[in-house]
Amino acid sequence: MDDNLYKEIILDRYKNPQNFGEIEDVKQAEQANYLCGDKLKIYIKTDKDGVIEEAKFMGGGCAISMAAVDLLLDEIVGKKLSQVKKMKGEEIEKMLGMDLTPARKKCAYLGLEVIKKI
Amino acid sequence: MDIKSKFPIFKKYPDLAYLDNGATTLKPEIVLEKMNEYYREYSANIHRGIYGISERATEEYESARVKVARFIGAAPSEIIFTFGTTASINLVASGWADKNLKRGDEILVTEMEHHSNLVPWQNLAKKKGLKIKFLPLNGIFLDISDEVLKNLVNEKTKMMAMVQVSNVLGTVNPVKDIIEKVKKINPKIVVVVDGAQAVAHMPIKVKDLGADFYAFSGHKMYGPTGIGVLWGKKERLEETEPVNFGGGMIEEVTEEGFRMASIPFRFEGGTPPIGEAIGLGEAVDFIEELGWKDIMEQEINTYKYLEEKIGGLAEMMGEGTIKILVMKGAHPHDVAQILDTVGVCVRAGHHCAMPLHQKLGLMASTRVSLAVYNDKSDVDKLIGGIKKVNKIFVKED
Repeated sequence: MDDNLYKEIILDRYKNPQNFGEIEDVKQAEQANYLCGDKLKIYIKTDKDGVIEEAKFMGGGCAISMAAVDLLLDEIVGKKLSQVKKMKGEEIEKMLGMDLTPARKKCAYLGLEVIKKI
Repeated sequence: MDIKSKFPIFKKYPDLAYLDNGATTLKPEIVLEKMNEYYREYSANIHRGIYGISERATEEYESARVKVARFIGAAPSEIIFTFGTTASINLVASGWADKNLKRGDEILVTEMEHHSNLVPWQNLAKKKGLKIKFLPLNGIFLDISDEVLKNLVNEKTKMMAMVQVSNVLGTVNPVKDIIEKVKKINPKIVVVVDGAQAVAHMPIKVKDLGADFYAFSGHKMYGPTGIGVLWGKKERLEETEPVNFGGGMIEEVTEEGFRMASIPFRFEGGTPPIGEAIGLGEAVDFIEELGWKDIMEQEINTYKYLEEKIGGLAEMMGEGTIKILVMKGAHPHDVAQILDTVGVCVRAGHHCAMPLHQKLGLMASTRVSLAVYNDKSDVDKLIGGIKKVNKIFVKED
């Protein structure tokens, strides 16, 4: 494993997430990854056509899981929730611009898993 | 002491700083050689064949039992080979407690148990309507004041399950004193001690401890995976029912029924991990040849050096060879990942002790656990890695 994992974008998103927060009275779901001690709750506001207008998250975890969810929420605004739910894990890796080891895939995919529960 | 040269993994990775010994220890050449010899030269089944290599296998397997017995100050007939600590504790739960405890009885455990010495009791409690009580923590130690014990132990307490060395905090519990105290309140309490994190680091004499059962694994004491031990007092083993019925554990079988073999064989139904048991016997020899004085001296020197070097770099908790590190601003996963980039292996997570982490107010932690081959160079690499974590995560934004 090389140091590239902690690229500027990951660290920046981890330390200063852009989508951290709550939205009242909207669809939401949460999940904990007890193995690592991550907890994540995602709020999604959609319009009448199911298009995502706003997305936020609350929770705590490692840099990979937090940066991945923060970037993911950027990505999904303007898309249909039903489409987003069909996203694959590899797309997250593409978004992060790196390949992950099996152990870290779990971290990176946490956000998408939560969205799929909404 | 040049201990690293005895472990072939350091030939492949000369700079490896392996600090996850609480999970499993590395294996010395002589243990691997001994198992290799079994698999290559006499890999026959035991207690069966009337031919040379089977007799040799039986002899080596039984000689491993004798070594393990001597190692913990017990009789060979009290040593049951299992698949590991978890299997040993489950044998006590299913084979002894299930039979001897009844609805309303209570089991005392501690707040620092590994899941393997908690979940079997929770499962049994659910099945039989038992109550589980927890001996509380006070800092990193158990609170064993008379007042606390009086509140927790009563005539309904039939069983106590306790870890000797915490796999998270390294705390060495005064097991002998605790057993004395609880048995003074209720002499009928049967005590099972989880010795998984103890056996590689300090001499154990099970009879001195006053326990009824003692469980440990081979792979945390320089032996192979897949082999563990349950020691039981003779009287307790006589009250224990086997959990694996079948070949190897019987004396006679007719269409009408069967007669069990004697103890300990009745608890070893099926072909056991023969090569692994023989490997464990060799691991015992390895430890005894190094000698407790040198082992403990080496480990103490290493952890004292770590305690001195860590300074303000991270918050460190723990006693002896096991420490957890808490670094503000850096998640344990990220800490472990960055340490990996400098060749340092540590554990990140809850280390199979979720209730303990809840108690400590942590979601997870980074654990450093030492063994005899660790030295100052490993600590230096760890410290270098921690500085790197701080540089990446903790530096001012």
